[in-house]
Amino acid sequence: MMTNGVVHANVFGIKDWVTPYKISVLALLYDMTATKITLPERRRLNKLILPLQQGPDLTLGQFLKTVEECCPQAAYAVKLRLHEMADGELKDMEYFFSTLPTPFTAFDSEAYKTSVVGLFMRHMLLAYNKLSFSQVYKLYKSLQHYYHSHYAKPADGQDTVGDRMDKEELDGPLHESELRGPLSQKQAEYFLARQAYLLKNDENKALKPAALQEELNNMLKFNPDFAEAHYLNYLNSMRVQDIFLSAHSLLHYFDRLILSGNEGKSNGDEGYGRSLRYAALNLASLHCRFGHYQQADLALQEAIRIAQESNDHVCLQHCLSWLYTLEQMRGSDSTVLTEDSVKMAAHFCLPYLASLGIQSLVQQGATQGKTAHKLMDALKDTDILHWKHSLSELIEISLAQTTSIWRMYGKSTMALQQAQLLLNMSSLEPVNFGVQQNNTEAFAVALCHLAELHAEQGLYSAVSEILLHLKEQFPPHSQHAKLWMLCDLKIQFERHMNEGKYHLAEPLVTAISALNKTEGLYRKAQVLKALNRSTEAYSILQRLQAHCEKTKCTEVVIRVMLSTAELHWESSGFSTALPLLLQALALARQHHLQSLASESILHLAFTQLMLGVPEQALSVLHEAIEPVLAHGSVMDKGRALLLTARCQMAVAGFRPNGHGRAGTNLHLAVLAVDTLKEATAYFSKLSCKERLRDVHFLQAQLHHALGQTSQRNKSAMLFRLLDQELQSPAPPVSMRL
Amino acid sequence: MKMAALCSEFGDLVQIKKQLISVISLCKERGLLHSAKWASELAFALDRLPKDELPPSPPFTEDDAQDLDALTLAKSYFDLKEYDRAAYFLKGCCSQKAYFLYMYSRYLSGEKKKDDETVDSLGPLEKGQVRNEALRELRVELSKKHIAGELDGFTLYLYGVVLRKLDLLKEAVEVFVEAIHSLPLHWGAWLELSNLVTNIEMLKSLSLPDCWIKDFFMAHMYTELQMIKEALQKYQNLIEAGFSKSTYIISQIAVAYHNIRDIDQALALFNELREQDPYRIDNMDTFSNLLYVKSMKPELSYLAHNLVEIDKYRVETCCVIGNYYSLRSQHEKAALYFQRALKLNPRCLGAWTLMGHEYMEMKNTSAAIQAYRHAIEVNKRDYRAWYGLGQTYEILKMPFYCLYYYRKAHQLRPNDSRMLVALGESYEKLSQQVEAKKCYWRAYSVGDVEKMALLKLAKLHEQLNESDDAAQCYMLYIQDIFSCGEQLEHAEVSTALRYLGQYYFKNKLYDEASLCAQRCCDYNDAREEGKALLRQISQVRDQIETPSADLFAPLSNNNTPVRRVSPLNLISFTP
Repeated sequence: MMTNGVVHANVFGIKDWVTPYKISVLALLYDMTATKITLPERRRLNKLILPLQQGPDLTLGQFLKTVEECCPQAAYAVKLRLHEMADGELKDMEYFFSTLPTPFTAFDSEAYKTSVVGLFMRHMLLAYNKLSFSQVYKLYKSLQHYYHSHYAKPADGQDTVGDRMDKEELDGPLHESELRGPLSQKQAEYFLARQAYLLKNDENKALKPAALQEELNNMLKFNPDFAEAHYLNYLNSMRVQDIFLSAHSLLHYFDRLILSGNEGKSNGDEGYGRSLRYAALNLASLHCRFGHYQQADLALQEAIRIAQESNDHVCLQHCLSWLYTLEQMRGSDSTVLTEDSVKMAAHFCLPYLASLGIQSLVQQGATQGKTAHKLMDALKDTDILHWKHSLSELIEISLAQTTSIWRMYGKSTMALQQAQLLLNMSSLEPVNFGVQQNNTEAFAVALCHLAELHAEQGLYSAVSEILLHLKEQFPPHSQHAKLWMLCDLKIQFERHMNEGKYHLAEPLVTAISALNKTEGLYRKAQVLKALNRSTEAYSILQRLQAHCEKTKCTEVVIRVMLSTAELHWESSGFSTALPLLLQALALARQHHLQSLASESILHLAFTQLMLGVPEQALSVLHEAIEPVLAHGSVMDKGRALLLTARCQMAVAGFRPNGHGRAGTNLHLAVLAVDTLKEATAYFSKLSCKERLRDVHFLQAQLHHALGQTSQRNKSAMLFRLLDQELQSPAPPVSMRL
Repeated sequence: MKMAALCSEFGDLVQIKKQLISVISLCKERGLLHSAKWASELAFALDRLPKDELPPSPPFTEDDAQDLDALTLAKSYFDLKEYDRAAYFLKGCCSQKAYFLYMYSRYLSGEKKKDDETVDSLGPLEKGQVRNEALRELRVELSKKHIAGELDGFTLYLYGVVLRKLDLLKEAVEVFVEAIHSLPLHWGAWLELSNLVTNIEMLKSLSLPDCWIKDFFMAHMYTELQMIKEALQKYQNLIEAGFSKSTYIISQIAVAYHNIRDIDQALALFNELREQDPYRIDNMDTFSNLLYVKSMKPELSYLAHNLVEIDKYRVETCCVIGNYYSLRSQHEKAALYFQRALKLNPRCLGAWTLMGHEYMEMKNTSAAIQAYRHAIEVNKRDYRAWYGLGQTYEILKMPFYCLYYYRKAHQLRPNDSRMLVALGESYEKLSQQVEAKKCYWRAYSVGDVEKMALLKLAKLHEQLNESDDAAQCYMLYIQDIFSCGEQLEHAEVSTALRYLGQYYFKNKLYDEASLCAQRCCDYNDAREEGKALLRQISQVRDQIETPSADLFAPLSNNNTPVRRVSPLNLISFTP
């Protein structure tokens, strides 16, 4: 057969043909109609039929075992029938085919022509009838081989062991592929569809990359015209980040597709041009995945140009959304482009692209300090759209985005709720092959947030469980694995810092910077600060601030400012820290970053305390204490309470050097005792020993002032124990928050 | 072995002839027709031996005498392609010769059945699955004997072939090397080995017997690996050593010249070849390619008709006819003949590519892409197919997309200027001028065939306002065009002259400018501009000469740029 002058491999247009395995399936179907089987057994067999028909050829042993599990009686009958044929003569097989119930006559049986079974039987009969003389004979020979190879195996113990061993050894590499035989076109299609679906939805259930590659190579060897196999090859190579092979397969796929596209459409040019456009677009996305932004840009421009020439608005729209994604990835502002894209998509009735654009806008808006209600409104509106068109993927993204936004604003409870909502939601997508999609970026993001939220509350066993799940769901080579890797590192880092194990935190910094440079630099500055290498820390912070102001990373800018202020404290430059803190506070408020705002207030209060205006500090603290207790992490809560207690003590008349004038303000002192007790609970949760030591010291002082000797002694003892354990000399009562 | 000992110094042609004669009879007895043909051709090229010098027939052993009847019977069946029958009567024979023929018949029987079965296999997907069933049995038996060390040179060769057919390439290479060591004169083993050597490092790592035939092998390998210069040197040495009459060497040299696109040399050699061997069909498709490139219609037509008379059902004949029709712009018919060639031999490399070219001519891009893809499937290293794919996408106005294909082609032929120019053009279309410049310059450096790279480079420099570089390139271009002597259709000497005239004028080098302007007047399209420039020059000269002549000298020295282009000496090249 020739299309467009090119010879096709599939000469007769047969998609399916008879193999020994198919004959066994036919025998099974035949016996099912003929013999009496109990109802539960029949039900089990019925469930088996479709996979048997569609799946790749099994060996007789495998086949019989599967059937036996459902109905031993049927398995025996099939075995008997195959035995008749294989040990008999060619006429026995011919007889079998002639006695098969023809689907056209059997009106009331399950094998009627329109049923699944009937269709299969018709396919087989047709294929059988088309066989030539020598082909029939060959089929019979292979049936005999198929049958006998099953029975020969267990019996071969005695005869010429050495000879056989020799042969087995030599045939090692050939054996596997030979046993299974080639796939028919139908089987191949089914295989490809299944693997592609699994790759998209749950990679772990798909074949391993190497195994899949081997399968595909096999398939392509038998039929190089099978374009879809090249595409799956491309997906598979993307999995292992192999740019050469993936580019090669992608281009090969489209080269092949061009012809079939021509075939399918009546107006040849349209189908053909279409695949060209999408070929360029796919190439752009490939380069984008590998981070070759310039190449991606060029490919994208090409796609846009061809799409424009042929007036393909849908393709253009896709290009446009890739364009703004690309801009975003490069780190430049693409708000205008995105807005345009949304407008155009809405105009051409492409809801998916429109709301994808809106989501991207929301993301940009969030980082640029748009007001919360606007963002939430936009998300809500798109949500309505999603539910209307059942775009489950976008619903997931939307939920993950809400989670992120709430976290950014510092509302941990809301974030927690949204993340749980996403994880507990049942997807709208149909469940195929027993797999539900749960490997999208949205899930990864939500799970990472969940892990971090748990870490903040000091629930580290829960965290490790979540991370374990993430590791399973998103294996290290997969696309979204970097998300949890960074999250994992960050949590470990925080934990070590809180526990004062700076030497453990330091090596993590390099790993973090490999995944995210800005974050890495910030963490490095923190470690250096903790190790009292202030000048180095300061220079890094300065650089980081300049960089982040340029890239509009407000969150990091504020955090850098706070860290710089802390550095100023160490040199007792409390008054120089003040303007920085105020600036940070203003920024945080402007961007609605509540957790950072309360953090700034804590810093401010501490500065004021140190500057000797504890009353002022206390009143400022009141503003922050509520949100911190409601949403903050355990560490924040403890720190806030410790600071409050210190302010209270200062107001009550205690000097920072510890020699309090007893009895000035007993009421406040009692309050401070309570506050400290609460703080102890938080710090001990995190086993933050340095701070616990401070707390015990202050407690001892207070109890001393209040004249409660036994409690004082107890606190003093605790202090002494911790002090001995920590070894490092205590800093003059805590020059830090 | 005995043969290995016979391998003597290269210079002794009589010895070589003797060796050839004995190996011919050995090959013939074993039905190795191609090797016998090769050796006979080579022996024919050497001087005749006197009667008493003829080598004695190999000694007749007891085993041979015992198997004589069975062997004779089997050999006659074998010659009639009744392989199974031959194998049946040879079973149980003990001589080496009989054993080889026995195994070889079984192998060929399997191959024949495989070919037959491909036609009516059970399904299209099974096509790739059809295998020579005998291979595995043969491998088991041969490997046992191999371990026992009972295989002679011919059986080792067969073992190697079996391994190669089973895709066990590494083992196959080892066995072929062994076979060559034990019987260096069997050309078939060398040829099989050459198919398995993929790069020069691998070639160097092989330990080969030091025999005169090794030089033939190395020359063949160099041609395969596109190291044409080395190949030509080797062949030249062989000719000087006394093989000057060998048609094999002549054809190989012609193919090598074809590969480096030295068309005239190649044509001359092919003509010589046809004089010596008028009924030869091998390599004639390459000859027709050359005639096609040179647009020699009558010669191509003669060749086509001649070949049809000899044998019209040969792949080469079909390719020649395809080329003939293509040159006459009857592309449908050309495609038809290439298809016929493919039916005769589906693994025929050139035909897929040529068919792609025909579809390109017919503007059927999708079919062209398919054809090229098929070509690549047959041989991944077919640079013309990659290049053709690139061209197709370039025609479809996808310059970025075609970059990938051109790059592939360039990888395969790093020193071919056409790929580099194509790459440069694509980069230029993508406005990546830096890359484009690099490509053009590289294309010029490796020896530009079409003489276009410099012109394009100059134009690129002109666009980027790098006038010094542009002038330099134009100058080189003009020198290049005139030095090659022949007239090129697309030559744009006038453009170059025009630009150079303006450039010298701007830099106040009036003598050179007027020279260029005068030259411009030789070309129709630049005549008016040349005259205008001449007028301008004379005007400016008038103005300058009025104040003082002394002023001019220092001025011109100071004002000219540092990287000044040396004045053009055009007198030696007249267009």
